[in-house]
Amino acid sequence: MGSRLARKIILAMGLLVICGSAHAHHGNSAYDETRTITITGTATEFDFVNPHTQIYLDVKDEKGQVVHWSVECNSPGIMRRSGWTRNSVMPGDQITVTLNPAKTGVPIGFSGGKTGKVVLSSGQTLAMSPK
Amino acid sequence: MRNRLMGLIMASTTLVALSLAAFPVAGRQASAVKSTPAPAPKRDLSGVWQFQGGGGAEGLAPEKDMPPMTPWAKARYDTEKPGYGSRATTTGNDPILRCDPMGFPRVIFIPTPYEFVSAPGRMLQFFEREHEWRPIWTDGRSLPKDPDPTWYGYAIGHWEGDDTFVVESAGFNDKSWLGATGYPHSEDMHTTERYQRVNHDTILYNITVDDPTAYTKPIVAPQRTMKLLAAGDEIDELVCVSSDEENFTKKIREPAASKPVK
Repeated sequence: MGSRLARKIILAMGLLVICGSAHAHHGNSAYDETRTITITGTATEFDFVNPHTQIYLDVKDEKGQVVHWSVECNSPGIMRRSGWTRNSVMPGDQITVTLNPAKTGVPIGFSGGKTGKVVLSSGQTLAMSPK
Repeated sequence: MRNRLMGLIMASTTLVALSLAAFPVAGRQASAVKSTPAPAPKRDLSGVWQFQGGGGAEGLAPEKDMPPMTPWAKARYDTEKPGYGSRATTTGNDPILRCDPMGFPRVIFIPTPYEFVSAPGRMLQFFEREHEWRPIWTDGRSLPKDPDPTWYGYAIGHWEGDDTFVVESAGFNDKSWLGATGYPHSEDMHTTERYQRVNHDTILYNITVDDPTAYTKPIVAPQRTMKLLAAGDEIDELVCVSSDEENFTKKIREPAASKPVK
């Protein structure tokens, strides 16, 4: 009983740690910061521009339908200090993105802060923010 | 059993405390475990510094600590629709959404670095955000009596002892917000900053905003920390490009706040 309670407390605290770690400069209220998900798909576009880098990718949902996702990321300067370049993601690359999804359920998310990252087709992981 | 439970809870609490200490978001963070930094050099702030804060969400001070506003400021406040804080909305009117300058002091509280460069008669502050710079005059001049208002104001500085650089500023326009949670200021705003370099890698930052046209008392912001970035980390070019921002708004910001198409 006690250990089950302890596990629940630890889980709740773990969620607290994960939450609240990502912020876009203009406001994050559109994104559900209590949820961190990963999506895998084929990159269609990578806009390494100020003040918001953007990644677009096609992801197959559970029914096999292709869903076009749009992902807001940090500014290029922050990402460059994490090892990114304008060529880190190319159209056609298979990538996995960790993000906070939009609250409304549209296929849009924010990948930034301490949790945001992308696993490239090479297997390399690039964080959105410097360590 | 009870002891094990308490042990787990205490371990979890410690974990959370450590995590929250590292909560500051984008941008380089202070290492949790690090060897003791070298002493601060005397009267020298040169280097690239990273504000350790809550990402783009940071205000000048917590909303609960903001002093009462004057009727003039309250009228302005009521028109503000920020993206963060107790009034956060997805359909905001933050001036930076149309690439207006951050202005001072808001530019201090964002997760991109700035560089201090010392020059004869002045200290220069170069901000990554907006690729903007701010001269702080150190040649003994006074603040001008009636300066033309600008986004970043007019600043003079002097050293107190060998580790604390004190900056007085005035001459601001009233177009910028004090932070991401909104809050206006007037052209009468006067700020006093203290950059105390407590060791080679760390500045403790204090700022007081005195604006009697907008607030009934001075705003004393909580002390913040700035960390020196590693050699080789440079100021990047973060300009807000109106056309790129418009594209972003159409492709992501507005759709993210909309209902999904069934």
